[in-house]
Amino acid sequence: MRKKWIGFSLVGGLLVALAAVVAQQPSVLFVSTQFTPIEEAQRMRQVILKDFSGRVEFIPEDNAPFTNRILSEARAGKVNVSLVGGLHGDFPPLISAGALEPVDDVMAQLKDRKFSPTFVNLGKMGTGNQYYIPWMQATYIMVANKQALQYLPAGANVNTLTYSQLREWGANLQKATGKRLLGFPAGPRGLMHRFTQGYLYPSYTKSAVSKFRSDEAHRMWSEFKALWQYVNPQSTTYDFMQEPLLAGEVWVAWDHIARLRDGLNQKPNDFVAFPAPIGPYGRGFMPVLAGLAIPKNAPNRAGAVALIEYLTRPEVQLTTLVENGFFPVIQTKLPDNLPQGTRMGADAIARQAQSNVALPSLLPVGLGAKGGEYNKVFQDTFARIILRGEDIRRVLDAEAANLRRVMNDTKAPCWSPDPASNGPCPVN
Amino acid sequence: MNARLVYLTLAVLLALWVLVPIFLIATLAFSDRASVFAWPKGILPQQFSLETISFFFGVEGVGKAIRNSFLVAGLTLVLAVLLGAPAGYALARYRFAGADAYRVLILMTRAFPLAILAIPLAVRFINLGLYDTALGVALVHTALALPFAVLVTSSLFLGIPKELEEAAWTLGCTRVQAFLKVVLPLALPGLAATAIFAFVISWNEVFAATLLTLRERTLPAFLLTALNDSPLPFRFAGGFFLIVPALVFIFVIRRYLFTLWGIANR
Repeated sequence: MRKKWIGFSLVGGLLVALAAVVAQQPSVLFVSTQFTPIEEAQRMRQVILKDFSGRVEFIPEDNAPFTNRILSEARAGKVNVSLVGGLHGDFPPLISAGALEPVDDVMAQLKDRKFSPTFVNLGKMGTGNQYYIPWMQATYIMVANKQALQYLPAGANVNTLTYSQLREWGANLQKATGKRLLGFPAGPRGLMHRFTQGYLYPSYTKSAVSKFRSDEAHRMWSEFKALWQYVNPQSTTYDFMQEPLLAGEVWVAWDHIARLRDGLNQKPNDFVAFPAPIGPYGRGFMPVLAGLAIPKNAPNRAGAVALIEYLTRPEVQLTTLVENGFFPVIQTKLPDNLPQGTRMGADAIARQAQSNVALPSLLPVGLGAKGGEYNKVFQDTFARIILRGEDIRRVLDAEAANLRRVMNDTKAPCWSPDPASNGPCPVN
Repeated sequence: MNARLVYLTLAVLLALWVLVPIFLIATLAFSDRASVFAWPKGILPQQFSLETISFFFGVEGVGKAIRNSFLVAGLTLVLAVLLGAPAGYALARYRFAGADAYRVLILMTRAFPLAILAIPLAVRFINLGLYDTALGVALVHTALALPFAVLVTSSLFLGIPKELEEAAWTLGCTRVQAFLKVVLPLALPGLAATAIFAFVISWNEVFAATLLTLRERTLPAFLLTALNDSPLPFRFAGGFFLIVPALVFIFVIRRYLFTLWGIANR
């Protein structure tokens, strides 16, 4: 028996010896909150970054360790990461801690890229300096199983669907099949709060904050509650709508394009993609923007600048679209030979953004680390009204107090589509 | 007879409770994508396919992550037993001032959630040069595993009669010899259990492993965040990938556990 034990110690000792094997050549360490799914990370490394001249170590990770890491490295004064990639909302805590270096010089080098001016502006984070370079964009759309199309309400077209037509559609589907076939990603990691913030509220109130508890919002919630009776009750477990769509549990669904593309790519002939529904004020929708930034004291700033230049090239932007489903942030023509699933998504996004009822609403601006609390207000409001059936007026008043606190704490002025404000965005 | 039936039923239920999820994960990990998405899913393997599993072995860095995981877990195991067993022995054999306070203090290390320590810990590790090394992660994991190691080994040594040790002394053993020849063989199964604890704690730990490493990721840190956002087939394959090494380790070490539970050697 003792021999066995000694054996264990020996194995342990051997493992210690292995620890000594550490040797790294200089490269660009690129940490990103995007492309965490393992396939996307792999395609990023093997396809998108393939033609870059230097060596890149691409490390995707969740938002929380990402923020902690960049802040720790900045505070310790010993920075390993040369380039960070993240969503617009990932950057404020880094900027307020002074961990990022402005990239105005890089922006100047990229003059010929034809970035969308809105995105360039967002990258300034409300300051005079450019803090990140736009990298790629995405948004949320609807996808339906083709079998569901025959049950569309009379006179309805998926491309100009209204919220009340969506409700009728769900009712028709239930009548015909006996099942509740609408679906929303209301699971623990689902993005349901983006639906209420960026789609429902703007469509019904042309606002997300100032009219949070208005009568229009009250009507919106009661209509959405009526719609919810045709939504698959499993929705509270869905994180990615592509799975229930592929499994046939759900026939009509709303989600982030990246969380639908597996379905569109695997069975392009079974599905249609189309824009989000239209409400009284138009079609509220939320573009999602990711950017690239350089930490202060980055060990390989030159390499990071070269990598930014590479990632914003038109051909690399298109590769990013085809491989990982994020859309270009520069003005470029999409080639005709896109995969069918990607093409369907691109068409739906274009119709969503370009129609005359389009009502783009930005991701929260200026909330900093309070972004999570802001989301929680919308998650809680949804859960209390729709899932627990609490009184709408009471919930709106209670949650408005929480929302007001977030706004006052952060002093964030209103962002589109709320009308501009002096001082913190008011919750009327 | 009746009691035996109840006993058997309970045993079977308990075994099923553990085995069914592992079985389902395993079958779906080896099925092709279409049958993973199919509804309702079959109980038996549908279309056998190595597609997703083999994808994992192709992912850049998985080999290194597996190596790191074993390295970190191995280091944690060795450190936790080497530091924990003497402390446990001291608590069991000697009465010293503050022994009870010491016992509580040991548990205190588990009282602080790692999340609030995240940034100070990372900053300190960067300054010490332990950041992004297997040793650094193993040190944190050892800190997490030590309370268990100390408490388990102390009750273990309490269970070994002091008279045996004293008898060895009277027969000419030194203190060290008596420990090695008499106490240690008796304590071995318990030490093995402690080792398993330390190994599993380290193997499953994600937070410190993610925060303190960049290039030298352990397997859970490397895969877990990636799996949360990955399509279903990858979650099954990844889940399978994460549990198998731990299962193999426990299988290897299980005979010590059986002795601990008083079941004859097998």
